[in-house]
Amino acid sequence: MRVAERIKHDGGTAAKAAKAPSAPAAVVPPRKRRGVNREGLEAGRRSTRTLLWVLLAAAMVLYGFPFLYLLFTSFKTPIDTIAVPPTILPREWTLENYTSALGRNGVLASFINSIQTAVISTVLSLVLAVPAAYGITRYKTLSGRIFIMAALVTRMVPPVAIGIPLASMMGSVGLSDTPIALSIAHTTISLPLSIWLMSSFFEAVPKDLEEAATVDGCSRLGALWRVVIPVVSGGIAVTAIFAFLASWNEFLFALLMTAIRSQTTPVVIANFQTQFGLDWGSMTALAAVYSIPVILLTLLLQRKIVAGMTLGAVKG
Amino acid sequence: MSTRTFISRLAIGGICTAAALAASACGAGGPANTSGSAGTNTVNVLVEAGGHAVLTGVAEQCKQDAGVNVNFVELPYDGMFNRLSSEFSSGNVSFDVAALDSVWLPSFKDAVQPIDEIFTEEAKKDIFPALVKEANVDGHFIGLPAWTNAEIILYRKDLFEDTKNKADFQAKYGYELAAPTTWKQYQDISEFFTRDGMYGTDVKGGVETEWLAHVLQAGSPMVLDGDKVVIDNAAHKEALDFYVGLAKSAPSGAAQVDWAAAQNLFNQGKTAMTRFWAHAYRQIPADSPVAGEVGTAPMIAGSAGIGGVPGPWYLTVPKATKNTEAAKKFVQCAYDHNEKGIESNLGLASRISAFEKYQDKEGYESFGPLIETLNGPATATRPATEKWQQIVDTVLVPMLQKAVAGGDSAALLADAKKQIEDLLK
Repeated sequence: MRVAERIKHDGGTAAKAAKAPSAPAAVVPPRKRRGVNREGLEAGRRSTRTLLWVLLAAAMVLYGFPFLYLLFTSFKTPIDTIAVPPTILPREWTLENYTSALGRNGVLASFINSIQTAVISTVLSLVLAVPAAYGITRYKTLSGRIFIMAALVTRMVPPVAIGIPLASMMGSVGLSDTPIALSIAHTTISLPLSIWLMSSFFEAVPKDLEEAATVDGCSRLGALWRVVIPVVSGGIAVTAIFAFLASWNEFLFALLMTAIRSQTTPVVIANFQTQFGLDWGSMTALAAVYSIPVILLTLLLQRKIVAGMTLGAVKG
Repeated sequence: MSTRTFISRLAIGGICTAAALAASACGAGGPANTSGSAGTNTVNVLVEAGGHAVLTGVAEQCKQDAGVNVNFVELPYDGMFNRLSSEFSSGNVSFDVAALDSVWLPSFKDAVQPIDEIFTEEAKKDIFPALVKEANVDGHFIGLPAWTNAEIILYRKDLFEDTKNKADFQAKYGYELAAPTTWKQYQDISEFFTRDGMYGTDVKGGVETEWLAHVLQAGSPMVLDGDKVVIDNAAHKEALDFYVGLAKSAPSGAAQVDWAAAQNLFNQGKTAMTRFWAHAYRQIPADSPVAGEVGTAPMIAGSAGIGGVPGPWYLTVPKATKNTEAAKKFVQCAYDHNEKGIESNLGLASRISAFEKYQDKEGYESFGPLIETLNGPATATRPATEKWQQIVDTVLVPMLQKAVAGGDSAALLADAKKQIEDLLK
């Protein structure tokens, strides 16, 4: 009983001491040995922590530097942007690139088009992916398994292979150069990923929850809406972010399917590289502005994203 | 929640989504007419982003004179070919006029309609001979050159006029330091200025036109003579050896140097001379160390005279447009008001008279050498094969990169010949 209490209090060290009463106390006093262990443990923890911080800092630099370089370039003068060798910080800070980029004809319209397209595509993806993934995970039929594999196969087709026929089809149904056409095209990219993501999130939800809801009087759809959906809301946020980003940054379909009315910002950004030169300053300024909504959205949904990302992790 | 309530909520959500979708059928770009609105006075013009500015003045004038409204569809150069291929092959085009790079003209010759009526005798005299020839495919003119360009020599006037440099150069080479008129002079001057962290010139391993200009200057057709591949002839080898030989007076890493890199090097004051497209003269940034210090000279002559590879863009009218009349009116406007392009930031046109009108004005010093180069006896456009772009991307540029990195020129040319023959089969 006493040993058990000591085990509980000091985490097992006492138990080891109790099991080895013959240990020569004069050679290594137990108190001293415990002190050395604790200090060694502390030092080990400190060095592990330092190593982790170094790795974290390196990863942050690796991921963050390109964006920071883009940001700094957007504040450089024209000659600074093409300096050989390049400089990281502007020699002279200027807002000229922002004025020039945002003052360019069609930039505002392209922003609105990008938002419109990304929102519609995200909604379409979720509206289709949530019930599809729920059905696949809950009913576990052969056709469901084939369907989910087939959805994955569509990700393996190069976008350019479907882009040209898709553009042609949209033209033939009178949807040429409209955000809806582009949204549908973008949904073909995000939907397979959304179904897979949502499937893994639904897998993590115990069936007992739904059964409990059913016992409490919910219909199957009611249980899905009132119990399952709130549980996987983090997963839905993650899926929404991925679907939104897939559309927000997409270039090829936007290039093939848009013209005057629905051109999105990635195409406008690419337009700064012409056959006659590359306007680095304006290009980086517009790219910096274009990344703001995504950063804000990610910050806004940060908690949901983290919750969603760990949702599948507790499954096993 | 009952199933009924759930379904009704789903229906409301669906209706809202549908409403949003319906609203989105009109994008923020405005209610532009797409091609197919027969008989309207609005035309959609597909243009590479850099060329948009050249046509803006023309569009304004066209609205005034002919009542034609113009919507521009701007696309990046790298994506334009895909877009054109996609729309031409579907037979459903979203534009009424397309500005095509001369390299693409053979690829799309069957998708555009003749515009012979614009090529009057007077027009043919006012357009550079090489361009008149290139615009004519199978006996019909299919594209009006909206603007053109050619490589000329840009050099550092301040360095060339420096008294000490002049004296040193005279002492070393035995003749006066001036803008080069022979390739020997170009070589000497490049060597002379390669010192103190500076280079005499650049060597662009990432582009093919400069090397091909040397081939033309030697009197040989470039790469193809009709259907025959002549890339391994003496003129090509000599041109390649000379081109690679300049690398010792150029910054290292020539294999990766392309137009953008070469332009940056010159604008940064790292090179004393460059062979570059004429428009670059007017695009030197005001805060560049070389701003106001640059001189221009025509492309250098070889045994066949001055020769360059022009870079024109052609306005074409797709067969699939239902707005042919307004489209042709716009193309006519582009010819009539061709000089409007010169007032744009790109500062280019295609009519000889337009260039001549401006050549003596301050700021347009590149026009004289440009006219001389475009009128050069050896100046010729690229071979009229739809495989040209593929030949450039997969054979010529990789071969040049290997050559400037020290590869054996004869072996590389022989290998290139075989690859091109395979491509053309």
